[in-house]
Amino acid sequence: MEEPIIEISDLSFKYPQQKREALSHLDLTVTSGEWVAVIGHNGSGKSTLAKLVDGLLVPETGTVKIAGVSLTSETLWDIRKNIGMVFQNPDNQFVGANVEEDVAFGLENQGVPREQMIERVRSALESVGMWDFAQHEPARLSGGQKQRVALAGVIALRPKIIIMDEATSMLDPEGRKEIIQLIKNLNQKNGFTVISITHDIEEASLAERVVVIDDGVLVQNDKPENVFQRGAALIESGLDIPFSEKLKNEIKNYGIEVPQEYLTEKGMVDWLCQFISKK
Amino acid sequence: MSIHFEKVNYIYQAGTPFEHQALKNVTVSIPKGSYTAIIGHTGSGKSTLLQHLNGLLKPSSGHVTVADKEITSTTKNKELGELRKHVGIVFQFPEAQLFEETVVKDIAFAPKNFGKTQEEAEKIAIEMADLVGLPDNILNGSPFELSGGQMRRVAIAGILAMKPDVLVLDEPTAGLDPKGRLEMMQMFEKLHQRQQLTIVLVTHQMDDVANYASHTIVLEKGEVIAAAPPKEVFKNPQWLLEHHLALPKATKFAYELQKTGKFSFDKMPLTEKDLAAAIANSLKRGGN
Ligand SMILES: Nc1ncnc2c1ncn2[C@@H]1O[C@H](COP(=O)(O)OP(=O)(O)OP(=O)(O)O)[C@@H](O)[C@H]1O
Ligand SMILES: Nc1ncnc2c1ncn2[C@@H]1O[C@H](COP(=O)(O)OP(=O)(O)OP(=O)(O)O)[C@@H](O)[C@H]1O
Ligand SMILES: [Mg+2]
Ligand SMILES: [Mg+2]
Repeated sequence: MEEPIIEISDLSFKYPQQKREALSHLDLTVTSGEWVAVIGHNGSGKSTLAKLVDGLLVPETGTVKIAGVSLTSETLWDIRKNIGMVFQNPDNQFVGANVEEDVAFGLENQGVPREQMIERVRSALESVGMWDFAQHEPARLSGGQKQRVALAGVIALRPKIIIMDEATSMLDPEGRKEIIQLIKNLNQKNGFTVISITHDIEEASLAERVVVIDDGVLVQNDKPENVFQRGAALIESGLDIPFSEKLKNEIKNYGIEVPQEYLTEKGMVDWLCQFISKK
Repeated sequence: MSIHFEKVNYIYQAGTPFEHQALKNVTVSIPKGSYTAIIGHTGSGKSTLLQHLNGLLKPSSGHVTVADKEITSTTKNKELGELRKHVGIVFQFPEAQLFEETVVKDIAFAPKNFGKTQEEAEKIAIEMADLVGLPDNILNGSPFELSGGQMRRVAIAGILAMKPDVLVLDEPTAGLDPKGRLEMMQMFEKLHQRQQLTIVLVTHQMDDVANYASHTIVLEKGEVIAAAPPKEVFKNPQWLLEHHLALPKATKFAYELQKTGKFSFDKMPLTEKDLAAAIANSLKRGGN
């Protein structure tokens, strides 16, 4: 499981209309089966990176290798079969006249036999709780329903790599937890590699690694706990301060001595209980 | 402008096999000058309800009154022109409301339409762009050649430029980075305070409900299951659990602490500040 599945080296890209590069000289390697969160402020280049990895944009410099194969115009179509991408706006993703056809679309393209396809579409839609809407038009769904269907489209494909570009931003809290758990299961049981672009600290904390992009430059690539320790600097990088850290700071304002190291919420509860017991 | 829904039903695609009733007998008031949060699951009818506020959707039956204008199934669009100047809606998907060639023109559209000169309208647009934190270098580019969060900001700026009396926001911070999210929420709060703007906010962020809202409406499968101030709604964790709703982070943390048996709270805190104060108090006093 230790082999690299995505190898990005010296990757730069500039939109023709812009003066500045949207990404510059980015290096990143992702191991097969890993869960990596990509964070950064609005306009920092996260979606651009996702599109470069999926071959939707062509880099100015540098290379992208997927499972050892360099991404070029010749290898593009084969490589894309390995990648399931959930776009930031699900409306840009829908192609089918109804939900079922929409989810089936990618499978048809890959030549999956019809019977298998029907089964996979059904099970993907059931897994996101949208099977009842199979015959509905995607455009006529609510925001969260659209995001669920977009995810089903990728789950049905069973790609090696899932890229989620803020794919759960419009789900209700419970729905979001369920969907993230679902993806986590695919990651752990089926070994899918997951790249999750997110502004949500809880989602980022599930990752094995957090990559921080700032104005097109990769500025940090580390375990979540190390990234989260940066306190207020996190806000400038486009991520929130974890709730437990905020609470720690508020409590400190009351003249109470608090631990230096990053505590999870559970860790915070434990520390508070110890503190009060010592009294 | 005070708003009232009276026995409102709304049915999508009536008379087809896909007929779906998205609002069921909704009777609810949104007081003038209030900050009302609407919460509920995916598909519960929040966006459908919002679109009734300026007559984009009209009740299948029942009626909606906004200030002195009554909207029923038979209200004609041309009767709604005046109302639509006063009620600004930021849609759930911002791209749906962008249409001009440049960012500035897009934001300037409403003021220009409401009689400002080109120059005046563009001046307002530039002010609004600044207010929502858009970088200057994108103002003369296309609103479609932007990042997701930047598009969201353009859509919000375009509605603020209308200078509405009622500001309707459908998950306005989805896709914003946390700093932008906080700044945007504080900016709305300021408008609400200083200009007595009525705000109607759909959100999945219970912390925003706790921090900003004066009223809460909870929807479930098209029905209003609660309409009360946030502290009432978040008072009963059992009820929230039954309805699959979440608590603000501070409240949830307080319940976790309480479960240990070492802390107890008389009043459940809704915000971080209240929680920290209560914890500090217990720590200084010693354990239970
Ligand atoms: N189609 C486009 N044409 C021109 N410039 C673009 C285009 N899309 C994005 N940009 C610009 O490139 C930069 C990076 O955008 P990108 O969409 O990658 O940001 P992001 O990190 O995904 O931001 P967000 O969190 O807002 O989604 C931004 O400054 C943006 O304005
Ligand atoms: N244009 C439409 N045509 C038919 N049905 C629709 C349409 N728009 C929404 N619906 C349906 O009406 C119900 C309510 O949708 P609505 O968009 O109001 O939900 P919501 O509470 O805003 O959800 P979300 O949090 O996911 O945005 C959903 O079941 C949805 O599928
Ligand atoms: Mg993006
Ligand atoms: Mg909605």
